[in-house]
Amino acid sequence: MKTQTSLDFRTNAAAAVEDGALRQAMRNATDTIGTKRSDAMESVDFSALREKASAIRMEVLDNLPAYLERFTAQATKAGASVHRAADAGSANAIIAEILRRNNVRMVAKGKSMISEETHLNAHLEKEGFEVVETDLGEYIIQLAGETPSHILVPAIHKNRQQVGRLFAEKLGVDYSEDPQVLTKIARKALREKFLTADAGISGANFAIAESGSLVLFTNEGNGRMVTSVPPLHIAILSIEKILPSLADLPTFMRLLPRSATGQMLTSYVSILTGNRKEGDATGARELHIVLLDNGRSEIVKGDCREMLKCIRCGACMNVCPVYRTVGGHAYGWTYPGPMGIVLTTLLTGMAESHPLVDASTLCGACNDACPVKVPLQEMILKQRVRRVSEGFSPATVSMGMRLFGAAVNSPLLFSFGERLAGWFWSLLRRVGGENVFGRLPRPAKSPFSRRMP
Amino acid sequence: MSVNDSVIALFLENAARSAAVVHRAEGAEQLRAKVSEIAAPDEDLFCPLVTELEKAAAAGCTRFVPGYASARVTVEEVSAAIAETGSIVCASSNGKAVQASLLPAHHVAIVPRDRIFATLDDFFAAFATAPPTNITLITGPSRTADIELNLVIGVHGPERLDIIVV
Repeated sequence: MKTQTSLDFRTNAAAAVEDGALRQAMRNATDTIGTKRSDAMESVDFSALREKASAIRMEVLDNLPAYLERFTAQATKAGASVHRAADAGSANAIIAEILRRNNVRMVAKGKSMISEETHLNAHLEKEGFEVVETDLGEYIIQLAGETPSHILVPAIHKNRQQVGRLFAEKLGVDYSEDPQVLTKIARKALREKFLTADAGISGANFAIAESGSLVLFTNEGNGRMVTSVPPLHIAILSIEKILPSLADLPTFMRLLPRSATGQMLTSYVSILTGNRKEGDATGARELHIVLLDNGRSEIVKGDCREMLKCIRCGACMNVCPVYRTVGGHAYGWTYPGPMGIVLTTLLTGMAESHPLVDASTLCGACNDACPVKVPLQEMILKQRVRRVSEGFSPATVSMGMRLFGAAVNSPLLFSFGERLAGWFWSLLRRVGGENVFGRLPRPAKSPFSRRMP
Repeated sequence: MSVNDSVIALFLENAARSAAVVHRAEGAEQLRAKVSEIAAPDEDLFCPLVTELEKAAAAGCTRFVPGYASARVTVEEVSAAIAETGSIVCASSNGKAVQASLLPAHHVAIVPRDRIFATLDDFFAAFATAPPTNITLITGPSRTADIELNLVIGVHGPERLDIIVV
């Protein structure tokens, strides 16, 4: 598959709109999650919970260095080795080095968006390690050689027939399009991998400063496997995932699964504190925690710091009219949807991502859905302002804006413009590659200002 | 800890909603009868046989395997339960292998009624700063919806979870 980039958003999106199977799959999936989400929210006081959750996340961001220090000290005390990685390259290098030192050949991997951000799999494979994704959705896209199109449901863009054909081709099994049968095939293929893997790599939803614990919300059981069956466990997470204490966890246990998949709670919530200790029969013998910065300690000082409150539930994308239409791949980087627009422009820079800031109608549905009250709509607007000030607006847009600016500053010019538009409308309708004027209503014969008594 | 009946009822209701199969037993004899009803006698069964309830529960079973990795069913007493979410809690305290609730296809959890917490907050208040190596809250059997958001029960973890409140 051709790699799509954020700079190609317009062409990617146009191609996605033409893909009937993709649009059908996206509609089914986002509708299903949406309904389940609103049902699940009925049993809690959403607005009170999100106030509380937002305040806890802000408390962490306001004191991030201190919380990171506390987490590092406590996790170390519990027997983990904590590593700080400034960027993607150094995170990948740290992990490869740990694997080499332990003579690892095969790694069973749980779902981690941070590892997608650092392109960890590609790096490890280049270094000669076998990496097996064990989340069903990730396994599907790894077999297909693709990237996730949703942060929680990575293969949301594929229908059952496509998965059936993929399994038949890559695993040599009989074709089936029954999700039940396909899931059992994956269970069987992956069970052996769990038991023979030399190391497990996982992400984490939260890290608890007070106890040095990692918290993982999972459904399939693969997250439990990779963190407790192999002798070596490496967790990779970004620095802002900290919560002050275990007492803060219930708020997020009530919010995250409901916002993410519309479940009251995921099948499993694992709280892992350090490595296997004397007398324990559970836990990896060696635990490494890699904390990725990748620009976040700068973002936390800026005017978009609230983006780092995000707990990666995906609710904003499920309600976004743009995401629902074009799917995740069109955004061209790790994170799609409204949170993806903001995070991609912040993390990769405007030069790499500026077309993304148009991928929003500013309808504000994302703001209403966000369980930690990230003001996404305002932040997308801020990114649009940044695009202009950093000089990445398309030339026609900045020219048009300059002309319009001059016109609205002078009543004479403005009324002249109104007349011009009226006279030349039939001609104007024919210019513009996307028939922009053709979609606008015809100007009134006599402008409103002149009809005022 | 004395737990009132409404908390137990709420726990059973929420656990059933998460697709666990719930049972109640009064005393050792009923527990033994329940377990032999749930786990077929010819299944390879793993039971830690550490607590009195585990010994009572497994009294009628015949095919024990020494390790959970090769078992078809695990029967064990769990650390706690939470009524708010219908969850059971497996913890690594006292040398317990938390993976015993993960690898076999069928998990039978015994919950002493006095260890059911009403809310998540009550539960977490019990471990302030020094939690054991692994605490896993289990809510229903393992599941996925990764193919067209179709719910499939039983992925890498158990496809069946029975909970017996004693």
